[in-house]
Amino acid sequence: MSAYAEFDKERQEVDTLLRQGYSITSIQEDLDGARVKFISSEPGKSSQELLLLTADARKHVTTLLFAGIKPVTAIETHI
Amino acid sequence: MADLSIDLAGIKSPNPFWLASAPPTNTGYQVQRAFEAGWGGAVWKTLGEPVINTSSRFAAVHFNGQRVAGFNNIELITDRPLEVNLKEIYETKKRFPNHAIIASLMVEPKQEKWHEIVKRVEAVGVDGLELNFGCPHGMAERGMGAASGQQPDLVQAQTTWVKEVATTPVIVKLTPNITDITVVARHAVKGGADAISLINTINSLAGVDIHSWNTIPNVGGQGAHGGYCGPAVKPIALSMVAECARDRGVGVPISGIGGISTWQDVVEFMLMGSTGIQVCTAVMHHGFRIVEEMIDGLNNYLDDKGLASVTELIGKSVPKYSNWGDLDLNYKVVARINEDNCINCNKCHIACEDASHQCIEMLTNAEGKAILQVREEDCVGCNLCSIVCPADGAIDMVALDSGAAPLTWNQRNQVISGLNGSYSEAEVV
Repeated sequence: MSAYAEFDKERQEVDTLLRQGYSITSIQEDLDGARVKFISSEPGKSSQELLLLTADARKHVTTLLFAGIKPVTAIETHI
Repeated sequence: MADLSIDLAGIKSPNPFWLASAPPTNTGYQVQRAFEAGWGGAVWKTLGEPVINTSSRFAAVHFNGQRVAGFNNIELITDRPLEVNLKEIYETKKRFPNHAIIASLMVEPKQEKWHEIVKRVEAVGVDGLELNFGCPHGMAERGMGAASGQQPDLVQAQTTWVKEVATTPVIVKLTPNITDITVVARHAVKGGADAISLINTINSLAGVDIHSWNTIPNVGGQGAHGGYCGPAVKPIALSMVAECARDRGVGVPISGIGGISTWQDVVEFMLMGSTGIQVCTAVMHHGFRIVEEMIDGLNNYLDDKGLASVTELIGKSVPKYSNWGDLDLNYKVVARINEDNCINCNKCHIACEDASHQCIEMLTNAEGKAILQVREEDCVGCNLCSIVCPADGAIDMVALDSGAAPLTWNQRNQVISGLNGSYSEAEVV
């Protein structure tokens, strides 16, 4: 798979969760990549986690956050 | 025609081209001939207690047909008595009153030694002093030159001693043989330096003769480390000049040195913060008259740019030089191959395949012609293909609009840190 295809697959996974109403709540980076945790304010939806491997996907999520997609605050998390 | 004159910390010169303290400024005969050729200033070969130099002093690194890509020397400071040099400085200054003569000085790190030489040298009418804290060989073993320059506190102390008696501007010449040159630069300024000059030569061994197993150069079969200079060191020098130019703790004029061979090099050093420049190796290679082409080239360039004075170049590129962490990660360039200019040598394909991201494909077009094509979505914009390409205009690096807002590494880390901070709090709750 080309590097772009790997990135595109990961980007679509991120974008799909965001479209479904999930918000990014934490990003933990380690030797294996970035573990991005998503939560939803909708009742009954469990949290999701993606392990992003590609540099472009790791850049993508932070670009979205920096551009204004608001992270979930402590209060929102527990409503 | 633009005004080429400069004023470096009070030292006035008809143009920014100075000879560096080195073999070309060893005598009045040489410096006067240099001024006749067009050089605006000269930093006299370092004065101090006269040394005894070895025979077999220089060596060069030739690379792929380029002679003197790098130059190495094990010559020390002047081997002539101070009074002889002073007499020639006086005569030269008398003959060329509008040219800058700067005396390079190196003595033991003792206050009385600095006071003595400063007073004697200034008495003959030099325009400024350059303290040689950079020479990496010979003198360093005796506690002078780079040995002094690698110790920031000693640089500051010696500069202070010089400033106690100096009446002319003091330039401190810095060694590159140190981890962070700005530390020493700041200490020079704390000591009262009016300007800094950089870089001096880099520790080097030009080579080893694989047949005799002797070092290059060698003195009767024995070698010693020397100082490296010439075109090969220019990127190192330019980087160090840039670091000093953007450091607010430095904040004094810079005399740029290191591999400068052409008027274009001069422009680069001035854009990156140098008020003037110094040249040695190019003169050792081609002679004093290379300055004629440098003057013409600089004049034409300034005219083309519509600049009235060369001083308008000083520091213009400094704001464009920052930390890696402040570069935009969303900026994207890709390689595009122009079939009209491509000679199908495949060097770009090999480079990309073996050393980069495997995104240049060897294809056959509809007419059956072999072509090279970049898969732009996989291209990381490393520039390697355009670097190795031997055909002008065959590969362009094209900026693409990614549509994403600029994002630096530092901004990214702030976002993640802020995000995780709020999440941690939530987790605790």
